[in-house]
Amino acid sequence: MNRRLSWVLKALLSHYWRHPWQTLFMLTGLVAGVGLWSAVQIINHHAEASYRDAQSLLGAQASHWIQSRRDEGVEPGVYIDLRRAGYRQLFPLIELQVSTPGGQTLDLIATDLMALPVSLLDEEEDSDDFSATWLDFVQPPYRAWVPETLAAELGLAEGEALALRDGRRLPPALYRANEQQGRRILLDIGAAQSLSGLQRLDYIAVGEITPEEQARLAALLPPELEMVENQQHLDLQQLTASLHTHLTAMSLLSFAVGLFIVFNAVRFSLWYRRSTLLNLRLMGCDTRLLIVAIGLETLGWSLLGSGLGFALGVLLAQLLLPGLGASLQSLYDAVVGVDLGVSPLTLLMAWSITLLGLTWALAWPLYRQLQRSSFEAARSATLLRDETDARRWLGWAALGLGLLALAWYPRIENATEGFAVLGVVLFAAAWSLPLVLALGLRLLSAVLPQRRLLLRWMVSDGWTQMPSLRSAMMALLLALTANLGVGMLVDSFRDAFVGWLELRQSADIYLRNPNVDYAELRRRGLAEGWLADSHSRIGVTTRWRERPTLVRGIDPRAPDSLQLPLSRWQGDSPAAALATWREQPGKVLINEQVMFLAGVEVGESIRIGDGAAARAYEVVGVFYDYGNPYFQFYLPVAVVASQFSHYYSRGIALWLDPADQQAGARAEAAMLTLGAGPGDWISQAEIRHLSVGIFDRTFAITASMNALTMLVAAIALLASLLAILHERMQQFAQWRALGLRQVEILLLIATPLLVFCTIAWLVSIPLGTLLSWILIDKLNVVSFGWSMPLLWDLTPAVWLAGLVLLICAATLLLVSLRWRRQMPQALAQLGEIV
Amino acid sequence: MRLLVRLLLLCAVPVVVAQDRLGDLRDAGEGYRQVEPGFALEFPRDHGPHPDFRIEWWYLTANLKDRDGRHWGLQWTLFRQALSPNPVTEGWHSNQMWMAHAAITTPEGHFHEQRFARGGIGQAGVTHIAEQGYFNAWLDDWEWRSTAAALFPARLGFTIGEREITLQLQATGELVRNGVDGYSQKSAQGQASYYYSQPHIHVRGSITDGVQSTALEGQGWLDREWSSQPLAANQQGWDWFSLHLDDGYKLMVYQLRHDDGAHWLSGNWINPRGGASRLERAGIELELLARREIDTGDNRRREVPLEWRVALPEHDRRLRIRPLYDQQWMDTTIPYWEGVVLVEDDAGRPAGVGYMELTGYD
Repeated sequence: MNRRLSWVLKALLSHYWRHPWQTLFMLTGLVAGVGLWSAVQIINHHAEASYRDAQSLLGAQASHWIQSRRDEGVEPGVYIDLRRAGYRQLFPLIELQVSTPGGQTLDLIATDLMALPVSLLDEEEDSDDFSATWLDFVQPPYRAWVPETLAAELGLAEGEALALRDGRRLPPALYRANEQQGRRILLDIGAAQSLSGLQRLDYIAVGEITPEEQARLAALLPPELEMVENQQHLDLQQLTASLHTHLTAMSLLSFAVGLFIVFNAVRFSLWYRRSTLLNLRLMGCDTRLLIVAIGLETLGWSLLGSGLGFALGVLLAQLLLPGLGASLQSLYDAVVGVDLGVSPLTLLMAWSITLLGLTWALAWPLYRQLQRSSFEAARSATLLRDETDARRWLGWAALGLGLLALAWYPRIENATEGFAVLGVVLFAAAWSLPLVLALGLRLLSAVLPQRRLLLRWMVSDGWTQMPSLRSAMMALLLALTANLGVGMLVDSFRDAFVGWLELRQSADIYLRNPNVDYAELRRRGLAEGWLADSHSRIGVTTRWRERPTLVRGIDPRAPDSLQLPLSRWQGDSPAAALATWREQPGKVLINEQVMFLAGVEVGESIRIGDGAAARAYEVVGVFYDYGNPYFQFYLPVAVVASQFSHYYSRGIALWLDPADQQAGARAEAAMLTLGAGPGDWISQAEIRHLSVGIFDRTFAITASMNALTMLVAAIALLASLLAILHERMQQFAQWRALGLRQVEILLLIATPLLVFCTIAWLVSIPLGTLLSWILIDKLNVVSFGWSMPLLWDLTPAVWLAGLVLLICAATLLLVSLRWRRQMPQALAQLGEIV
Repeated sequence: MRLLVRLLLLCAVPVVVAQDRLGDLRDAGEGYRQVEPGFALEFPRDHGPHPDFRIEWWYLTANLKDRDGRHWGLQWTLFRQALSPNPVTEGWHSNQMWMAHAAITTPEGHFHEQRFARGGIGQAGVTHIAEQGYFNAWLDDWEWRSTAAALFPARLGFTIGEREITLQLQATGELVRNGVDGYSQKSAQGQASYYYSQPHIHVRGSITDGVQSTALEGQGWLDREWSSQPLAANQQGWDWFSLHLDDGYKLMVYQLRHDDGAHWLSGNWINPRGGASRLERAGIELELLARREIDTGDNRRREVPLEWRVALPEHDRRLRIRPLYDQQWMDTTIPYWEGVVLVEDDAGRPAGVGYMELTGYD
């Protein structure tokens, strides 16, 4: 049995030796699909592991934070008193955000390494070097421990002191990253104090502590401080869940596109192995043995594909992680470790889905071929009938999927369901494509002039090419749709975001320093004439329906409050709703996240505040709040001040007098006089630049994934054309012998290809729009709670058409080169046959 | 001379685990103030810190007994190290660093803990008696605090895990200046420290383990030492002993082990009235009797010289020293052995108790 199995396997697998190109394509499809899928899974798992680690800080457990109730920081003396009271699990922290001259935001974290309950020392390190490193870190001029990847992005050499946008400099850099440092730069507390000019700590982290100790510690705190539980790991998982679902969905799409290449290669291998299977069966191999052999072949491919694909995934993940890590940090304060952890579970899952995909793409068609009577399977007529049948079945399946999507769409409640529907829509479209292509061919044949025989022939050849190109066209359609749809989403989002920024950040300067007397600054500004208006805001951080929530007290008459962009409102107009909110007590404005994610509607009454102190407010409007993962309520500043005793200042926005040329300089002088430091304020241009920078970086991964998916589709196309060349070389040789020129034969190959690509491109435009619309109308809303209008633009589609043409040209070039090599041999064989 | 150790530790803080653990101690200490002969120690001034020297420590050991007559022991040490010879500043920019070690030897075993803190922020330090009116040495909640303008009487409180130790310290004799009036030479090449001791301390207090409290009483020994370069290049480590003999005499003796076997020996023989006789190499015979392998808690076993004979021919004394328990290893950043020893005369009769410190065996 083993010997027979071995011979059967050899006979089946010999195909791959004989057609190395197709073997390569099959492998490419598998590796590309698995690679993209694994990359995202690795990143997702790594991020989730990092969120779980949010219970710790720099490797030390941080179960609670001691912080100011009014965001005024913690006096170092309090920290020392608590340490001297025996609470050695406490360690001090300062967090700073600075920006580079290029506009990149950098997060700095500072602590006292000697107080940290864990050692950041690597015992493997050479002690002398590390002594020096460590001493340099805690002593002026200090060192900034910069993760190497970040340093590379910044072009920062070791020993170099990074210059900041406001002229300050970080301590000399040392390439070094510790656990949970993420992309943050680690400094000593002394260095952070020198940089910020402030002595206060931002907060104190509390390590492992028993409930009894915790109660005693809480009792020791001065009234202005509070101890809060570190729930960051839970919050991060909740807040980022949708983002990771988005990534997973994109990776599954890439996997699907990769599978189309596999389908294509399998179709080719089936075509070629019909005779092998026939011979094997005629030689007396029973079906069971063949099934085992097919099973082993599938298993082998799955192991090879998932192994190599996973390796590619690790590589891709390493390339994509820095960008994503930066976005997660900017958007969610999520610190994602720089060193990628790879779980064996991901590898196992990669293998499982590969096996599943291959069973579908390879084993099942082989098995079906086997089930047929031996002679029937080998007849060309069967193949032709197969193609028609396949189109019909795919059409019916597409219709079924379409109906399913239609029924499911209104019931979507979360991102996972949303993406499932999206997947159904995409597959429905892909599976209906062969019908559309056939229809296109028919229409074209009907409209072509009767006398243009060569042209008619070229178009008609599409029927012969259809089986080979079918899968590649579906892959192309998916890739084009994904590119168009996601591109449209990003463009729409960017447009809405930039427009929103202009309205929300209309002030010229934003200052935040709790030590500055904002009232005095306003008084001076108005008296000196450089200030046109100002807006001093306060806030409270709380939890509402188990989610981190910001209650903001804003001045209802400030310029940015008067033009607050609303997406829903009570009454006739946004202005009327804002007037109601301003003038009537008990009214609140909520952000879209509250409306979409917590299901609160305009006109509803909600309770805001803790416990017995909570008050009821009626929702009169919903404001756009892009980029904010938290719930947010806007109340008039006086209401927040009266209801919450521990509110804190959220800074002041300054509108300068446009008539005063020197207003900026005078404002800066006034801020400095009142105790602000150079890093405490940011101009409108800077804040917009930074915000848009974060936005673009967030979607950079999307662009990368789209580009890679396009690449996979291009490979599918090349694989198909080469398969056509293989299958029909004899036929081409005959035509050549009959006097057809090479260019004419190439045109014969190219014309149906171009016709099909054009049809796929045309289909991708409405389909991409549909995808984008689903993403904007449903997925963004259920995932992030952000709504925006769809911005339709044909330009990206035109670019994609150009790209498709380029891909076609490149693949045709490769085909023609191969054609030249193979044609003499084919002609010779023709001669022998004749 | 437990000094070095301490230094060692200090220098190590909290960083180094080196092949050559004593490397920093051999550093010439350029830019720091150097130890010179002829310097007159002055009290209470010199109980306080000397930040212009590189390293310094306040090192207390005590041999105690409970009501059942069982032996207990404790060590509490505060180390200061300057990270640079720059002028001392306050706040987080300070160049001073602190480390503390505490250990207790109990009938249930040996327990120890190590802590670190930076200077300048109040988390650790030693006050000048003249400024404060009392002596205070602390790191977090470990604290020695006198009730008068002197080192003693004082209260010492610290914790090791769940165990809380509270002691009252009372001096019963005069301070002893080691070496020549406190100038303690460590090698022929000139390495030295300022070094004085208080070997006459009456200790009374208790250890509470969360469930029960044990009253203890006994005698303590304080070593004060500071320097900028205590070790010579060819010195590998040291073996140090402080012994309270039953007849009221006290003995401090140490050897700094040299590569070539010509070890540097020194010590002090203190009579019950407080008078001290300096011991030099010719007057000390130190003989290793037994090495034993112990579990040092880092997945390793180490061989440590645990039994010794010390003879002082000039004073007609021959003493045999053995540990109360072999297992008194300090598995700290720089590991060393330090613990309670029992002293017998040459006839094998109990003659006293003391502390032994063995470094450079890791």
